[in-house]
Amino acid sequence: MPEHALPSVGRRRFLTLSAAGLAVAGLPRPSHAQARRSGELVAGLSERMLTLDPANHYSISSTSVHRHMFDPLVDVTNDSKFVPALAESWRPVNNTTWRFTLRKGVTFHDGTPFNADSVVFTLRRVKENTKLIKSFVYQDLDSVEKDGDHAVVVTSKRPFGSLPAHLTMLGMLPPSAGKNEEAFFQKPIGTGPFRFVSWTHGDNIVLSANPRYWKPGQPRVEKLTFRFIPELSTRAAALRAGEIHVIDRVTPDLVETLKGSRGVKVFDVPAVEAQRWIFQLGKEPVKDQRLRQAISLAVDRNVIIKELLLGYGRPVDSPVPPGLIGHTSLPPKVYDPEKAKQILKQAGYTNVSIDFVLMKDFYPKQLEITQAVAAMLGEVGIKVNIKNLEIATAREQRSAGTYDMFYSGWAHMPHDPDWYFGQWFTKAGSEKLTRYNNPRVEQLIAEGRVPDPKVRQAKYEELERILWDEEPEIWLCYTVAIYGVSDRLRNFEARRDYYVLLGDVSIA
Amino acid sequence: MSAAAAWPERRAPLLRLSPPALVGGALLALVVLASVLAPLLSASDPLKPSFSRRLAPPWGLGGTAAHVLGTDNLGRDILARLLHGGRLSLALAATSVLLAAGAGILVGVVAGSAGERLDALLMRVADVQLAFPVIMLAIAIVAVVGTSPAALVGVLALSGWVLYARTVRASVLTIRRLEYVEAAYTLGATDLRIIARHILPNTIAPILVIGSSQFATMVLLESGLSFLGMGIQAPRPSWGLMLAEGRDYLSNAWWLATIPGVAISLVVLGANLLGDGLRDLLDPRG
Amino acid sequence: MRTYVVRRLWQSALTLVGVSVLVFVILRVVPGDPAKMLLPEGAPQSAIEELNRQLGLQEPLYVQYGLFVQSVFRGDFGQSFQYRAPALQVVTERLMATVQLALAAMLITVGVGVSLGIVAAVRRGTGYDYASTVLAVLGQSLPNFWLGIMLILLFGVALRWLPTSGFESWRHLILPAVTLAAFPMALVARLTRSSMLEILGRDFIRTGRAKGLAERAVILRHALRNAAVPLLTVLGLQIGTLLGGAVITESVFAWPGMGKLVVDAIFFRDFPVVQTVLILSATLFVVINLLVDLLYTVIDPRIRYS
Repeated sequence: MPEHALPSVGRRRFLTLSAAGLAVAGLPRPSHAQARRSGELVAGLSERMLTLDPANHYSISSTSVHRHMFDPLVDVTNDSKFVPALAESWRPVNNTTWRFTLRKGVTFHDGTPFNADSVVFTLRRVKENTKLIKSFVYQDLDSVEKDGDHAVVVTSKRPFGSLPAHLTMLGMLPPSAGKNEEAFFQKPIGTGPFRFVSWTHGDNIVLSANPRYWKPGQPRVEKLTFRFIPELSTRAAALRAGEIHVIDRVTPDLVETLKGSRGVKVFDVPAVEAQRWIFQLGKEPVKDQRLRQAISLAVDRNVIIKELLLGYGRPVDSPVPPGLIGHTSLPPKVYDPEKAKQILKQAGYTNVSIDFVLMKDFYPKQLEITQAVAAMLGEVGIKVNIKNLEIATAREQRSAGTYDMFYSGWAHMPHDPDWYFGQWFTKAGSEKLTRYNNPRVEQLIAEGRVPDPKVRQAKYEELERILWDEEPEIWLCYTVAIYGVSDRLRNFEARRDYYVLLGDVSIA
Repeated sequence: MSAAAAWPERRAPLLRLSPPALVGGALLALVVLASVLAPLLSASDPLKPSFSRRLAPPWGLGGTAAHVLGTDNLGRDILARLLHGGRLSLALAATSVLLAAGAGILVGVVAGSAGERLDALLMRVADVQLAFPVIMLAIAIVAVVGTSPAALVGVLALSGWVLYARTVRASVLTIRRLEYVEAAYTLGATDLRIIARHILPNTIAPILVIGSSQFATMVLLESGLSFLGMGIQAPRPSWGLMLAEGRDYLSNAWWLATIPGVAISLVVLGANLLGDGLRDLLDPRG
Repeated sequence: MRTYVVRRLWQSALTLVGVSVLVFVILRVVPGDPAKMLLPEGAPQSAIEELNRQLGLQEPLYVQYGLFVQSVFRGDFGQSFQYRAPALQVVTERLMATVQLALAAMLITVGVGVSLGIVAAVRRGTGYDYASTVLAVLGQSLPNFWLGIMLILLFGVALRWLPTSGFESWRHLILPAVTLAAFPMALVARLTRSSMLEILGRDFIRTGRAKGLAERAVILRHALRNAAVPLLTVLGLQIGTLLGGAVITESVFAWPGMGKLVVDAIFFRDFPVVQTVLILSATLFVVINLLVDLLYTVIDPRIRYS
C-alpha cells in the first residue's frame, strides 16, 4: 500500500476500495481498513521506565514504551525477521559499511521532516556521548555520513554485521534535540504512533495518538497509558478488576487464576531468552570441566520445566534461541545422576561444596529453582550454598570472582547473538564475569561479525558445538513470556522479546 | 511513703497473674514447646522438595492428612517448616529484644540520670541512627558482614533500642523530680540505690509493654528483611522467609503466607497478654 | 528556656552534619557499583569504568563530599543516577503522595488507636477490653503486605468497591492508609491503655474524684494529659516509619511515595537520591523531635530543663 496515497484519497472511498479489495483477497480480518481511533488503553508493566531518551537505557520496559513515541530505522517481527521501519531498505556495501535508504514523507510530531540529518545526529550522538548507556555498543562506528537527504552510509572499524539488529532498539531523534537536550527530554518528540503527554517518574506515562503516523491504520486508540506496577499480585489484581488492559511478566502459577477471571485472557509465547547458570571458570573446583559435566548431568531440567515452571519453558538445543541467526539443533543435555556420581568419583570429588549466587528477585522463580537444583546436586554428593544477595552486591561478587555458580540469563533484545557471544565468550568481555578463554571460539566470534548471514551461521554453528562440549554454562531452558490481556483488546500480539507493543491494538 | 512499700511483694507471683495473662503465658509456652519439639511433632523433612506435591491445600480445604497444613511452592510440608522455622524466628526475636532492651534501658537510665551533656550526646546518637531507615542500615551491615543470624540479630536490635531508651529516659526524668525521691537524696541515698529502688520499678511497666510488642515487631522485621534478601537464607525455614515465599501466591495459594501469619499472631497475642499481666502484677499502685 | 532552645538547635545542626557525612561515606564504602546497575549485563568493563568516571565516582572521598556540600548550598542535590533528572526534583515529586499517605495513616492511628485504648482502659476486664486487645494484636502481627494484598483482593477485585492501586483520587488513599496505620494504631492503642491504667490509679486522680468532679471529666482531662508523654514518644518515632518506612505498603499499592523511592535508590546505588532523601528526612525528623521535646515541657511541667 503506497504510503503517499493515503492523504489524497477520501476516507469513505478508501474504505469502500479496501472493503472491495479485502473481499477479493479473502482476508479474515480487515486490519488496515479502519483508520478511525477510539478508546483508551492502559498497560501495567513490571519494570519502571527510567528515562525518555532511547539511547540512555537497556531496559525492556523502557524499550516497550519508547517504541510508541519513537521509530527506529529497522523493526524486528515476532519471528525475528528484520523489516523496514524508518529505513526502507539497507544493505552491506562491504564488510565494514552499511547503507540505509530512508523512508520519505515521514514527519516528527512537531511537523519537521524526518531525513538523513536525523539519522546522522542520532548515531553520532550515541557514539560520542559516552555517558549514554547505549554508547558502548556504537564505539565501533567510524563514520556516519549522509548521502543526499534520504540515505545514510555508516562505516565501522571492525565488521559490524549486527548493526541493523542493534538499530531496532534506537529511536530516531530530531536534530533539534541537540540544541538543549535536557529541555528536549522533558517533552520529547519522535516519529512514532503516539506523542508524549506526561510522565510521573516511577509511576506512569501518558501518550496520545499521533494522527499523522506514517504507518496506515496505526494507532487505533486515542490515549495510551503505561503504569509501572512491580508487585505481581497488585498488577494482576488491577487487570482482574478491569482497571488495566495488559500486564506483562505473568508467572506460571498465576495463569490459572487469570484464566478463571472474568474478562481476562492469557497469552503465552516461547521467548528469545534463556535462563542459564554461569560458572567461575577461573576458580577451583568449577574450573574443572568434569565437575561441570557432572553438575549438568545431575540436574533434571525437564522436571524443573514441568513442575516448577508448569510447562512454561522449552528445552534448550543450542545457546541461541530458535529464530535467531546461529540457531542450530544440538543433542539435548540428558539427566543421568548415576553417571554424574561416577564422574565425580573418578575425578576424586568427594566433599564438594559450591556457592550459588543469585541476584535477588531478578528472574522469576529463580529461588525456587535454585533450591530444587541444590536438592538434586545434594543427591550426587555436591553441597550447594545458596546466596540470595541484593543485585549490587551480587554483581560485585561476580566481578571479584567470589562465586562458583551464578544465576543469570540472557534475553536477545536485538534478536542477534553477536552481543551475547562477544560479551561472554571472549577473553576481554568475560574478564570480570566468567573468565572464559578459548582462542578458537574468540576467533570464530570475530569471523562471525561480517554481514553475510551464511558466513555468520556457519561460524556460529561451529562455535556452539565447542561450547556445547565445554559446558562453560548450564542452559536451563528458554523461557516463555506470559501476558494477561483484557478480552476487550483486539489484535494483541504476545511478543517473544517481552516487549509490550500496542500500536496495532484496539479496544472494544 | 517508705521505701519498703514501694518495692513489690514477691510472694508466689505466678499465682497472682490474672486469667488472661495465664492464657497468654500458656500460649507462648505452647508455641515455644512446639518449636523445640519440632522433629518429634513432624516427620516430614522441612528442606526436601517434592515436585509432585506442590501447593497442596491444608487438610479440610481440599488437602490430605499427610500434610495437615498443606505444602508450599516446592512441595515441602508446611507444618514441618512452621515448627522448624519457629525455632529460628523465636530465638532470633527473643535475642534481639533482650539485646535491644538491655542496651536501651542502659542508655535511657544513663541519659536520664546523668548530666546534661551526656544526655544530649546520647540522644543525638539516637537521633542520627534513627534518621536512617532500618533497611539502609541492614543493607550496609549485610553488605559488609554477610548474611548470618548474628548480623540479623544485630540489625534487629539496632532497630529497637531507641524506644526503650527514650521511654526510660522520660520516666526517669519525671520520677527524679518527685518529692519522695528528692527526700531520699537528702537522706544520703546514692544514685545507684535511687535507680534500683525507685526508678526501675516504675519503668518496668512500660518496658514490659514495649518488650512484648517488640517481640512481634522483631518477627515481622525479620520478614521484611527476608524479602530484601537480608534475612535468613533459603532453604532454611524461618517464619519471615515463609511469609516472603508466600507473597506471590496470595491469589492462588493463600495458606503459604497466612499460616506463618497466624503463628505470628498467636505469639503476639500470647506475648501481649502475658506482658499486660506482668505489668498489672508489678505495678506497686495496682 | 531560651538557652535550651538555642542549644537544641545547635545540636540538631550537628546531627544533620553527622547524618550527611555518614550517608555519604556508607554509600561509597559499601560494595556496589552504580555503573554496574545502570549498564546492562552485557556491558564491557571499559564502559563500566567510563560511566563511573562520568558520574564523578573516581574522585577521592573528601573531594566528592566537598563538591557535594558546595552544591547543596546552591540548592543542587546532584542528578539522580537512575532518572538523569535533578535528585531534588525526583524526591519532591514524591512529597505530595508521601504526605497524604502519612497524614491519612496518622489520622487513623491516633483516632482509632487512642479510642480503642481509652475504651479498653475504662472498661477494663470486660468484653470491650478483650476485643480491643484482639484488634490490637491483629494490627500488630498481620504483615503489611498480607493485609494490603488481602484488602486489594477483597475490596478491589471481588467487590470492586475501591481501586486496587495507584495514586489518583481520594478513594485510592483508603486502602493504603488503612494498611499502613494497622501497626502503629495497635501500638498506640496498647500504650494508651497501659498509660491510662497506670494513671487512673494514681493519687491525684483519686483526689480529683474526691472533689466530686464528674468521672468523665476526671478521665479525659487528667489521665489523657498525663498519658500523653509516652504517647508522644511513640508518635514521634512512628513518624519516621510513616514517612520513610512505608516501602512495603507503597510497593503493594504502587503508591509513588518516598519510602519506595529510597529503597529502590539504595538497591540501585543511586547515591544522589539516597543522600537527598536521607538529609531531608533527617531534617524533618530533627525538627519534629525538637518540637516533641518542647511539648514535653508544656504538657508536664515537672520535666524542667535548667
